[in-house]
This record gives sequence, C-alpha cells and structure tokens, in this order.
Amino acid sequence: MPEEQVPQQQAPGQPMPGQAPQQQMSEEQIQALQEKIKQMSPEELKEFQKKQCIFCQIIAGKVQSRKVYEDENVIAILDVNPANPGHVLIMPKEHYSIMPQMPDSEIGHIFVVAKALSNASLRALEVQGSNIVVANGVAAGQRAQHFMMHLIPRKEKDGVGFHVPQKTTPEKELQKIRKMLSESLGSKAEETTAKVAPIPLIPKRKVVEAEFKEQKPKKKEIVKKEIKPKAEKKKESGINLDDIAGVLGAK
Amino acid sequence: MAEKTRETCLICQIVANKVPSYKIYEDDLILALLDVNGANPGHCFVIPKNHYPIIEQVPDQELVNLFSIANKISSAIFENLKVQGTNIFVANGIPAGQTVAHFVINIIPRMENDGINLQWKPKQLTEEEMSTVELKLKEGIQNINMGKVEEIKKPEAAAETPKASPISDDDEEDYIAKQLRRIP
Repeated sequence: MPEEQVPQQQAPGQPMPGQAPQQQMSEEQIQALQEKIKQMSPEELKEFQKKQCIFCQIIAGKVQSRKVYEDENVIAILDVNPANPGHVLIMPKEHYSIMPQMPDSEIGHIFVVAKALSNASLRALEVQGSNIVVANGVAAGQRAQHFMMHLIPRKEKDGVGFHVPQKTTPEKELQKIRKMLSESLGSKAEETTAKVAPIPLIPKRKVVEAEFKEQKPKKKEIVKKEIKPKAEKKKESGINLDDIAGVLGAK
Repeated sequence: MAEKTRETCLICQIVANKVPSYKIYEDDLILALLDVNGANPGHCFVIPKNHYPIIEQVPDQELVNLFSIANKISSAIFENLKVQGTNIFVANGIPAGQTVAHFVINIIPRMENDGINLQWKPKQLTEEEMSTVELKLKEGIQNINMGKVEEIKKPEAAAETPKASPISDDDEEDYIAKQLRRIP
C-alpha cells in the first residue's frame, strides 16, 4: 500500500503529504549525516526525525495541507494522491514511526476519530463504505516515517483493487501460531477445535453470496460443504445485509 | 431479533463456541482468533462479542479496547512470526470488501511479495474538487458527536435495537437506530 505515491501533478506551493522531502545529497554528505545520526542521543534523534518528517512539518503548519479535522492529539488531512475522493490521512501529532510505539490511549483516540470521519464521509460524500488501512513496515506498504492511518471512502466499481487472498495454512502451523501468539499476549484463550476437522472459520465468500444475492462478490472459491445448511438458513432470515448496506448509503 | 442475529451470524456463532476456532485472546467483550484461510499464516481477526455490523455502530469505548488489542497482536506477530510488517485492515460496507455482517479488524502479517495488494493508483482531482471534498468532510465531521464515551452493552444485550426516539435525519444516533431497526 503506498502511503504515498509520487505526485504526478504537484501544483507549486502545494503540500506533499504523500511524499517525503527529496533532497539531492552527495555521497560525502550522506556519510557525514549518517555519522551524525549515530552519535545522537535518543532525544536528539527524535528531534532530528521530526525535522525531517514532512508530516511533522504539516502538523506544525509549516507546510500547507487540507485539514478536515484537528484536535489536541490528532490531525486529519486530505491525501493529495487519493485512492478515492475524500481519502483522508489520520495521524498523531506526536511523531511515531509505527503503531506499536504509540501509547494505548492515543491509539484508541485515533481510531475513534477514524470512526467519526468514516461516518462523516459516508454521509457527506454519499459513498457506500470505507476502508481503514494501517501499514506497519515497508513490506506492508509503509512509505512515510510518520505513523498514519488511511481512511478511504468506497463506492461500487471505484477501481480500488485491494486484494487480500485466502490461503490455506496447515492445521499444525495454525496450532503452533495460535500457541505462540496467545502466550505472547499472556492470554488463556483456548483452541476450540475439539476433535473436529478444521472448519473454515470465515467462509466469507459463501456468506456473502447467500446474503448479498444480486451483488456478486468477486471471489467465491470457498468451502461449500460444511457451511451450506447455515448459508441456506441465512437466505430465509437473519440479518439482511441490504439493510446494512442501507446504513452505508447503498441502494 | 437478538436470537436470530446470533443464530445467523457466523462470527456470533464463533463467539458462542458453536463453531470451532483458534482463539488467541478473549475477554468479556472481545475475541481474537486466527483466520484459517488467512492471507498469510498468522492472519488474525479481532472482533467485538456484541453484534455490530459496521464500525459506526461500535461504541467508542469498545472500539478503543478493540484496537488496543489489535495493536498488541500486531506487536506479538512482529515478535513471534518473523514477519516484515503488519497491516491493520478494516472493510466497512460491501464496496469496501466487507463479507460478513459483523465488525472485524484484520491483522495481516506481511512479507515481501506475498501476493497481498493494499495499493492503489492515485486519482487525479482538480484543486476545485479537492476543495469541495474538504469542505464537505469538515461540515460532515462537525455533525458527529465525538469524544463522548458511550456505555458498553453487555454481550447478552448485544443485538438489541437501540431505543430510538423520534428520528431526525441530522441526528447521528437516530440515524443509526433507524437503519438498525430495518434489520429483521
């Protein structure tokens, strides 16, 4: 996920929340800088990061941006390279590189802001849904050194091609991972697989198919046997996703 | 309605232990588990035990706890699974890719070239379009009641419809309530 794509049309004087400042430096300059960074105390390093961070500049008001929300701890601006109109970057005013560095209270608050902004965009922009995306690490698509959350308004066929594939992980590996993670969390949660063969947890596509009827999901190659009775039940009664779609402003 | 919801919602079935699952965390209001068909090994879900279809319906205090757990799991994944990154991903509504009518936070461990795409092509908007969107969102957010910590419902009361007073389209709570009441 690109937090930031290279702006193709950058009006002069406009902010570039999508992109770290790019300065051309010579080899020697880079080396000198690296030396300097090595010798910095953590506090100095943080100050340095802040100075280098375009988002910190935006937050300080030194770089122009289109703010849609601001409070003591959080700021939300329009992404200049949006996936969709109304694509918002929500970030803490404090400089954190990744989410695990943030204190719980700030994480909670930033997601409450995301919820409110999602709500606002559903109504104000007449969209039918939203994605909240956070990337921790380059492999996850993180480009900026300032932690941020993307809120992307969604409509049918808007061309945003997110793809989260479904893979099959062997049962043994699942058990191993489950144990590791729950121990690491200090959790006593148990596996409730009993002695039954593993039943796919979230037969996503199937459920969708049953409930959304006309609105065909893109992928549907998922387990049919085990969940069939349930899925059929859903056709007759239960939550009607059309109504939920109604909440989201869909037809 | 409460009964029906729990019978037909797969996530509620998992919460009720009627469907086997790989739980990694559980408390009174929150459950976290492994997705057996995850995008990568270690793909986790964090879910509220109460049945809320979309994020707008999740009370703030529950949301705070859900994401706090999500963050801890994200850290645990980093520490234990030797991955290169994690995504926190929420799909809200059908066009966003939501496939089950229960709010779910995805935590996806990431490696280079793992076949997951959360990238997009930027759309080019004119300055005017940007200004319009900015204005609309600013106005929109002003109408939303923020910062008020709502009372957390007990799981038993999960699917009960909020008691809606006369509905005004401008009022947030009523708007949601209005939509909820249409759910059988």
